[in-house]
Amino acid sequence: MQVELDMGEGRSSEALLPKVGRPLAVRWLGALGRGAEGVARHAGELSLIVWGALTALFTGRVSFRQVVREMYSMGVQSLPIVLLTGILSGVVTSQQGGYQFTGSVPLYVVGSVVVSSIVLELGPVLTAVVFIGRVGARITAELGTMKVSEQIDALESLGRDPVRTLGAPRIIAGTLVLPMLVAFANLIGIAGGMLTAEATLGLGRETFLYGARLFFHAFDIYYSVGKGMVFGFIIPVIAVHMGLRTYGGAEGVGRATTTSVVYMILAVLILDATFPMIFLR
Amino acid sequence: MLEYLNVYKSFDVPVLSGVSLTVAPGETMAIIGHSGTGKSVLLKTTIGLITPDYGDVRIEGESIFHSNQNTIERIRRKAGYVFQNAALFDSMTVFENVSTGIPEEQLGSLRFREVLKRVAEALELVNLDPRAVLSKLPAELSGGMRKRVGLARAIVGRPEILLYDEPVTGLDPVNAAIVHQLIERLGRELGVTSIVVTHDIEGALLISDHVAMLDAGRIRFVGTPDEFRVSDDVLVRAFLERDAMTISDRVLEVV
Ligand SMILES: Nc1ncnc2c1ncn2[C@@H]1O[C@H](COP(=O)(O)OP(=O)(O)O)[C@@H](O)[C@H]1O
Ligand SMILES: [Mg+2]
Repeated sequence: MQVELDMGEGRSSEALLPKVGRPLAVRWLGALGRGAEGVARHAGELSLIVWGALTALFTGRVSFRQVVREMYSMGVQSLPIVLLTGILSGVVTSQQGGYQFTGSVPLYVVGSVVVSSIVLELGPVLTAVVFIGRVGARITAELGTMKVSEQIDALESLGRDPVRTLGAPRIIAGTLVLPMLVAFANLIGIAGGMLTAEATLGLGRETFLYGARLFFHAFDIYYSVGKGMVFGFIIPVIAVHMGLRTYGGAEGVGRATTTSVVYMILAVLILDATFPMIFLR
Repeated sequence: MLEYLNVYKSFDVPVLSGVSLTVAPGETMAIIGHSGTGKSVLLKTTIGLITPDYGDVRIEGESIFHSNQNTIERIRRKAGYVFQNAALFDSMTVFENVSTGIPEEQLGSLRFREVLKRVAEALELVNLDPRAVLSKLPAELSGGMRKRVGLARAIVGRPEILLYDEPVTGLDPVNAAIVHQLIERLGRELGVTSIVVTHDIEGALLISDHVAMLDAGRIRFVGTPDEFRVSDDVLVRAFLERDAMTISDRVLEVV
């Protein structure tokens, strides 16, 4: 019986070079270079996945059944927790608004604040974060397991491109499902905020809705759902990418999944920060 | 014709250091070597599952590494690959697993009954009872059965080239013999070009037209089974004698 000891990181040729004697600046430059190389490689691979999924979609080589199956499982998996976070975001913003605005500002402003915070920010972002935990992590773990057990190799050996057969249906399904989940989260969040305002501040529903309409633009709906689409696209793209580059057995799957979650959250937050710069000026 | 042209591949340490080998159409080439010498890596480069650092693989003159994605997928559909650990899709039933072996463009025009018939035929060829296994998930099968399902998936698409990574390791002697006969028959009757990576030297010598020995990242020996048996290369002798030893061990155990 042969026992292979995996020395992990330590085995790279880098580790064999003497660490001492290299000036600090050189080491910093080295680290910077490796970091830049990593970012460039990720960016390159991500764009290949996007390209692969788009060509598969536009040449009609994506299984419609797979897309529907993915949409169903993504929707069903996430809906309960999405609704819960939606209600809670309404309850919280409503109470915070009530606390801040008592006295100085007319109370119907609570309606404006609740609705715009939920529609513009909390709805899309909280839903996306929940989606990352329930769906994005699952995709990376699933594809990562397939990668380390040679199932991805098997798929390729059968002349089926993994990005087309596994990636594209998940990316398309995510792009369609997340905006719907955002819409649900928005509606239930507003309802939660309205009922909380009524219960805690004695603010009537008509007054709440009056305040809501006062600062509301139809554009806000598109903005909210559009964010959902962008997040719903980028989350599975990153999840698929991280899954397909998994290596190193069960431990590798764990590592890929947690790293993937961090990248997906960062991507959502960074995109969320750039959205107002582009659309709300 | 299948050619490996000066294939190099390193992972941290060099694994393949200039492998060149030619496999003629319709022949069965056995590849032997110690574990960890890179037999699986070499087999994976054949259809581009691993990209070499240097060198090329040509199948009927077409390069696997300098072709576009469509050509690569077309070449891959001409080949069947039996993975060392079966690599079945674990969320799919045996039926679904084996039917993915039929190329997509054919699947589209086949009726369900015809797909079922081809899948059942492939399973019977590897000595599995279709009625018993069709609806099972891979996790519900034994290791040897998974391996044979993997073999069925590789042959159901009627490939012109078959790549076997240790097809009989982990099989009982009866099923090992059945698989060996199948490899031989596919070669002789259907003219399939086969590469068989194996530890079972006796089996390899029985079914192959040529034997290649991989050692230290290079092909150390290529020849017919008869040439292999009488070779005076020390490593070949060591392999043959070690095998003779294990056979006599087995005989001793039985006695
Ligand atoms: N994907 C990989 N990443 C890193 N090292 C690998 C990879 N695949 C194989 N190796 C290494 O290459 C060497 C040869 O492996 P392999 O081809 O599986 O040997 P065998 O001849 O037993 O089939 C081993 O040292 C193995 O650790
Ligand atoms: Mg091997």
